[in-house]
This record gives sequence, structure tokens and C-alpha cells, in this order.
Amino acid sequence: MFEWLEYDFMVRALIATMVLSFSVAPVGAFLVLRRLSLAGEAMAHAIVPGIVIAFVIAGLSVGSMIVGGLSAGITVAVLTSLLARMTIIREDASLASLYLIALALGIFILSAAGSAVPLKSFLFGSILGIDDETLLLIGATATITLVSFALILRPLVISTIDPVFYESQSKRPGLVTQWFMFLVVLNLLGAFKALGTLMAVGLMILPATAARYWVSTITGYLFLTFTFALMSCWVGLIVSFYLPEVPSGPAIVLVAGVIFFLSLIFAPQGFHVGARLNPLRNGSTSVNKTNPNKRETTHEKTV
Amino acid sequence: MQSALLSTIGLTLGYRDIPVVHNVAFELERNDVLAVVGHNGSGKSTLIKTLLGTLPPLSGKLDWGTGKPETIAYLGQQTDFDNRFPIRVRDLAAMGAWSGLGLLGRIDEPCQNRIEAALERTGTAEIADMPLYKLSAGQLQRALFARTMVQDASLILLDEPFTAVDQTTEAELLTLIDDWSAEGRTIIMVLHDLSAVLQHCNKSLLLGGGRALFGTPKEALTPHNLVGHGYLSQSQSAWIEAMYAKPEDRHV
Repeated sequence: MFEWLEYDFMVRALIATMVLSFSVAPVGAFLVLRRLSLAGEAMAHAIVPGIVIAFVIAGLSVGSMIVGGLSAGITVAVLTSLLARMTIIREDASLASLYLIALALGIFILSAAGSAVPLKSFLFGSILGIDDETLLLIGATATITLVSFALILRPLVISTIDPVFYESQSKRPGLVTQWFMFLVVLNLLGAFKALGTLMAVGLMILPATAARYWVSTITGYLFLTFTFALMSCWVGLIVSFYLPEVPSGPAIVLVAGVIFFLSLIFAPQGFHVGARLNPLRNGSTSVNKTNPNKRETTHEKTV
Repeated sequence: MQSALLSTIGLTLGYRDIPVVHNVAFELERNDVLAVVGHNGSGKSTLIKTLLGTLPPLSGKLDWGTGKPETIAYLGQQTDFDNRFPIRVRDLAAMGAWSGLGLLGRIDEPCQNRIEAALERTGTAEIADMPLYKLSAGQLQRALFARTMVQDASLILLDEPFTAVDQTTEAELLTLIDDWSAEGRTIIMVLHDLSAVLQHCNKSLLLGGGRALFGTPKEALTPHNLVGHGYLSQSQSAWIEAMYAKPEDRHV
């Protein structure tokens, strides 16, 4: 039953994904809380050409991958911001256009260069790809991420809940957002070997969305996101072990998907919460236009 | 003679070199409660952002008398607020102290006492452990007032603080503002409820049509001026004339 534990590559993969879960959990949690889930997905694709070019030039080394991935990520982020400011296209459409081009470009270069790495393992990950160098990358990523979160948690929380208030209280309000986006790219690179470029962001987003259905405090949320990420990784890796044709990335993300659907159905803030949500954003509190002194408050309720 | 806490000289406010309002001139002392009144787009929020320092004036200057306060408490409109964030009322109130704690500082006992007192004073002590998404608009605004109290600032800026709350909550929060003024704090708030302005503010700044008019509410917010600055139409000014004529009919 536990024969997979006898294989060195499996033990490496289990350890690597445990450390990775520590790292991606807070990043994914704040991607969800900051309503940047789709931006995270786009960024995962945007870094592909950088990784591919680095691979073609310098082989599959961790150093070249980081340089290539970070360069591509920063380039796409800067171009997105420029397009949004200087043309009529908004930020979401700019980012979507650029990441689609980046993904296609990456796959094109990889195929044209006659890569020795199978396209499938590049896109979807492989548990066999976790060597010493990758373990070091994941360890370093987790260390940088956790230390960063210890330092920026308060500003990150305030800027997420009430960005205008945060801006009023901070001397350099943009810094925390920029640092957070750097952590997103760093973690995508850390997760690349185990999950592949297409699936890496899945381990960030799905455990975080599933955990959100269960808890109402930020500490509990971060802890549960980590737990779900770890469960997804370990069960997914074991599935991938018994079904060798299935790459590890989709197996891990599918397990996270199962956890998401179970949470959606059974969790206290899942399907049943809709009626209890405060509909502030829908503007359901309004001033009666015929009598300005009488307000219609549809969501006042006894608690 | 003691210098003013804040005075402005020939201030022009706007975004990206596009002026919104010219020649904004006012002077505030400790204890003052200034109401900023004006139609949409008249520059009310622009003024608040300029005072916070997040938006530089296009021309003119702010004279902070004895120096700009280290902390300026700020309560913005709820439009940008994420009430689904997994955090409790108590944590939201504590956020008022975070800027003074740095990145790693812990909340000490005096600070904790300040948080508890703010929760008590704003009527949110009983719901202190409740997550934000369960709050009504009025409860959320009380919690945000608790955060503002915890900031313990000498200057407090409130941008349309009563837009989404009922009359009872508004009346209770206005008494809290009276208390802040009595404690020696200066309050600047954007308001649309003219009866509240007349009753709770000793100074007013009327913005509209690119111009600004400063004075006591009775001086500045006359029906003539309100119509002239585009805040009321001619027909709407009739009821405010009645309010001026019969102050005993005012209701909070």
C-alpha cells in the first residue's frame, strides 16, 4: 500500500510539495482576497517564454529559469500597465492579450528548438523532475515568501480590505503590491517543475478558494489553505504514481478541484451563505429620492 | 496669538493638471468641525486627498501652523471597502493602531485598552468577534468609526461617513463627532445632510462650479449660495429657506 514511499523520487516530490504548500498557501490566499486570481493565472502563462528561452540557451538550470521567468513576468507586467495607461484598452484586456501571446511564443520556441524536454512535462509537470537543484529552489522560495509575509502581512491586509485608507496611512503604498507580485512570480517558478507552467497557479488558487468557504479569520484561512494545498499535492502525487501516464500537475489540481467542490457544498460559507452576505457593493442601501430624510436599508438585520 | 492648526492660501485642487476647484481658502483651529458641502465632482474628495497628502495641490499651499500632525485619521467612502475579507470587527478596529506599530510591533496593554474603549463607545463591543460579512451597513460604519477612534489623531477626515447608514446610527455617530471636538480634535467631514451641518459643524466650505466659499454654516450655506454653487436647484432651495426660518423644526 505504501510502496511509493520506497522510491526516492516520490519521497523528494512529497517533501518538495510540502515545502511548496507552505509557500504557495499565503500567496494564493491573498491572490483570492485581492481579487487577483485571474491575474495570477495570466502571470503563470506570461513567464513561459522567459523560461523557454532560458532553457534553450542555458539548459534546464534553476538559475537560468529564475532569470528568464522573472524577466518575462516583469516585462509583461510593465507592458500591461503601459498599455492600460496609454491606450484605450483596459488592464484586463491588455494582460489577456499579452499572456496569450507569451504562452504561444513560449510553446513555439520550445517546439521549434527541438527540445529534449517533452512538451507535456513542461506544461503539466513531472514528479521525476524534482532534483536537488529544484529542492533548493523550492526551499529558498518558501523561505523568502514566509519571511516576506511576516514583514508585510499587516500592510497587505490593510491594503486589501481598504486600499484608500491604506494609501492615506502609508508613505509608499505601491511597494507592498509590487513585493506581493514578485512573490507570485517567484512561487510560480518554484511550482513549475512539479506542476508545469499551465497547472502551477492551480495549486495557489483552488486550495485558497476552497478554504474561503470554511473560515472567517485570516489566521484560520491561511492555515486551512496550507492544509488543502498539502492534501492536494500528496494525494495528487500518489494518483500520478499509480497512473504513470497522468502528469503530476493535473492530478494535483484535480484533487484540489474535488476539495473545492466538496467545500462548496458542505462548508458553512458555501452555497448557503448567499442570502447572508452584506450586499453593500450592490448598492442596495439607497436614499429615498422623494424624502431625503428616509433611507431604505434593505440589509439591516438583527444579529 | 496662537497660530491656526491649518490654513490654506490660494489653493487650486485637481487631478493630473486638470483643475477642479480654484482659490480654496479656509482656516481651522483645534475643536473646529468643518463641513465640506458640494455637488458631485465639485472637489470634495479631491480636497480630502490633498489634505491627506496623497494628491498634491496644483497651486497654492497648505500651512500647517505648528506642523503637520503625525497621524491624520481618515474614514473614506465604503465603495472601495472589501467587507468579505476574513477578519473580525475587533481586528478592523485594531487596524487603526497598526501604522504606529511598524511591521512587527505588538499591541500592548494601553493600545488594547484603547481598542476596547473604541468598541464600547461606538456600540460594537457586542459584535466585536463577528466577521465583517455578517454586518449591516450601519454596524460596519460603527466599526470603521471605532478604527478611526483607535487612530487617536488630532485631525480627523471623514468622507461622506453617513451615506449608507440609517438615521439612528447617523445621530449616534454625530454625537461621537461632537465628543471628538470637545476633546480638542479637529474634524473635517464631507456631508450632504444640511440639517446635520447646521447642528454639528461650526465651519463650512461650500464647493461648486470651480469655486469655494468658506464661513460659518449660516453665513456660507444660504439658499442663495447653495443655488449659486450648483448644490441645489432654485426649486429645491425652498425647503432650506424654511429650515433657516424655523430652526426649531430641524431634526437630527
